[in-house]
Amino acid sequence: MRAVFSRQALALLPLAFLILMALAPLARLLYEGGGGLSANLFFDDYLRWRLVWSLTQAAVTCVLALAIGLPLAWALARFAFPGRVLILRLLLLPFVMPTLVAALGVLALFGPHGVTGLNLQDTPWLLLYGNLFYNLPLVIRAACEALATVPASRLAAARTLGCTAWRAFWRVEWPVARPWLASALCLVFLYCFSGFGLALLLGGQRYATVEVEIYSLVAYELNLADAGALALLLLCLSGGVAFGYAWLERRLATPGKVEPLPPRPAATLAERTLLAGALVLLALFAAAPLLAVAGRALSAGVEAWAVLGEGDTLAALANTLRFSALALGAAAVLGLAHALAAQRWLWLRAAAFLPFVLSPVCVAFGLLLLYPGWSASLALLLGAYALLAYPFVAKSVAAALDGVPPQWPQAARTLGASAPRAFARVVWPLLQPAFRRGLAFAAATALGEFAVTLFLSRPEWTTLTTLIYQRLGRPGAASLDAALVLSSVLMLFAVSAFVIIEWPARRDRDSDHA
Amino acid sequence: MLELVNLCKAFGQRVVADHLSLNVADGETLALLGPSGCGKSTLLKMIAGLERPDAGQIRLGGVDLTALAPEARQVALMFQDFALFPHLDVRDNVAFGLIERRLPRREAYARAERALAELGLAGYEARRVWTLSGGEQQRVALARALVTSPRLLLLDEPFSSLDAHLRQSLQAEFRRRLAAARIPAILVTHDRAEAFALADRVAVLQQGRVVQCGRPQELLAAPRNAWVASFIGYHNVLDDGVLPEQAFLLGPAHPPARVERVDSLSEGIRVELTQQAAHFTLTLSAREAAQFPEGLRAGQDIGLGIDRSRLIRFAGA
Repeated sequence: MRAVFSRQALALLPLAFLILMALAPLARLLYEGGGGLSANLFFDDYLRWRLVWSLTQAAVTCVLALAIGLPLAWALARFAFPGRVLILRLLLLPFVMPTLVAALGVLALFGPHGVTGLNLQDTPWLLLYGNLFYNLPLVIRAACEALATVPASRLAAARTLGCTAWRAFWRVEWPVARPWLASALCLVFLYCFSGFGLALLLGGQRYATVEVEIYSLVAYELNLADAGALALLLLCLSGGVAFGYAWLERRLATPGKVEPLPPRPAATLAERTLLAGALVLLALFAAAPLLAVAGRALSAGVEAWAVLGEGDTLAALANTLRFSALALGAAAVLGLAHALAAQRWLWLRAAAFLPFVLSPVCVAFGLLLLYPGWSASLALLLGAYALLAYPFVAKSVAAALDGVPPQWPQAARTLGASAPRAFARVVWPLLQPAFRRGLAFAAATALGEFAVTLFLSRPEWTTLTTLIYQRLGRPGAASLDAALVLSSVLMLFAVSAFVIIEWPARRDRDSDHA
Repeated sequence: MLELVNLCKAFGQRVVADHLSLNVADGETLALLGPSGCGKSTLLKMIAGLERPDAGQIRLGGVDLTALAPEARQVALMFQDFALFPHLDVRDNVAFGLIERRLPRREAYARAERALAELGLAGYEARRVWTLSGGEQQRVALARALVTSPRLLLLDEPFSSLDAHLRQSLQAEFRRRLAAARIPAILVTHDRAEAFALADRVAVLQQGRVVQCGRPQELLAAPRNAWVASFIGYHNVLDDGVLPEQAFLLGPAHPPARVERVDSLSEGIRVELTQQAAHFTLTLSAREAAQFPEGLRAGQDIGLGIDRSRLIRFAGA
């Protein structure tokens, strides 16, 4: 009885938080936007173009990510080559990279002062390129995971029944990969459609998305009615896609233990060409922007690096670290409570996905509408940070909890451990790697947070990301260089988080085998 | 002495204990034998304190345990999959309960090492548990359960995750360990051979009730009803009793019976026969099978006599 009661108490914390920080602001937004929908939103050519372009760029990114990502994933999954394992791990890096770093990388390559000399500003390509930086690795990872669930024996059977490798792909591997790819593409669409940072920096005047439009309507034109209507529309569309994603995700059954086809060296000329092409494409889309940021920052003169010593920068750095640390503390508590409570109530598990689905701009806008008196309160900003960061902890810990069979703590109880002792000595040590991974993701999210900070921005709250944005707003190559130096600091943070996530201590790796 | 008094437990419509009462004397091993899903494991969890009975009492040495938390009962439970802790090495697994009893770490380790040595696992102390074979894991689990000197040992299908060959070689050793520990033990199993090999007494469970309880020979000599008889391995169950193998006589002098099916098993040749619409299953030893030099085939007629005086009548009838 007592255990049930304490689980209920645990559930109250994240639930209350979600209601206050996500559901109530959304409800407020619905109320605000509902009135505006009747307006001539759909007959306004300008807004209609924004909407059409938002949908188009998301759809085009999906098509490109699939067309490039699938053969690339196949080559990575099936061919052995030096550095393969490292590359497969590095595919996670974009997940923790702040949007501002990626955007600057794209600008450093193809912007007005880009190293390639090719200025693609005010074309749709900049945004699409930025989209692919994030979403190509996502599709590749999903496809690789899917291909790893195809047993080698099944492929061997297909070959003995007369399939060529090409036919075997379409008749055996593709049907397995399809649901995985469909769910990955839902995420790609969602990210592209409701992404903010990339669209703001890379879209320019003409190719910015609805999300950016909402921001400028609120921040510059104070047109809350139109902004609310757009936000409502955005919410419905992305809600629909998120629903599709959840539905697809549930159907992804991972079979128990599969012996996948071990990778083999590329033998024929065609295979070598395919592999080489795959690696070149991967370097172009995933590595080049990051290398450009690092390269440009390193080759920038001493004047550019002097920005690190400026008072503004130090204040912003202090803010970034302070906000992130506070948000991380909240995320640790909320995430643990949510994961433990979700063991008992499955619907709570779905609720952890809510912040992933919401666009930060919509949340921030809703918060502003709902709590106008609090708009200058740091608590509100930190709450928003925690909202965006804690689901990573909750998801990671919940998955680890699923891996702890009930008989382990039960065995501890029969050996004389009280319930708290059994948790501390058996369950908690087993959760720790997952907890740390979740925290690292949460930290990366908080460090690179841009949309909410900009939306709720106050001069004394300037963080590294908003400072970079301010720098970019000033004309000239020197400003770009300074922004690149700041971005490289941010990139360093993200890489640290990535290292914590992907290279756990030896002891943890051992227990991962269990 | 463990006493279960009128235990009741149901999960919704599913009754797993229905006014169930049982006693286990000190030093005695009782097997709970029943089909899968009859509530055996739940019964063990109730005794260990991991499930709460809806009604009834659990007493150990005259003291009522029913309201005690599992850690306060000093009842060791060995789980079906052994439930070894993957983040701890073998020594820390075995010492786990000793450390919970506030023993200094050095002392706990010394005792754990002794317990491991007794089970032939000296040198395994620093091994990670997932590197052990099934038989080794079972012995570590047993050491972990026994090292705390529990007042009662509960064993949930201790051999089910081991292969058949290993099972037989470990059962004899297991029986010796249980006898040496001199504490009451309850063993849950759905395998009658295991129950008969390890236990002093066997309780046959059906839908949360004890249908029959007694020593293995008693059960075999007088099964209570047809269900018990077929569950403990009798093939030829009639309305009023069972016909043991000795009741069947083979030879041309007897009335003919039609051979329906012949299977070679490790314990002999199993023959299914029909005689005047009655169906019988016989297991012939190699010696008996030698009466048929041309071999036995389905469709063939052989002489089959039945000695009704050897009928074992149901005890409950």
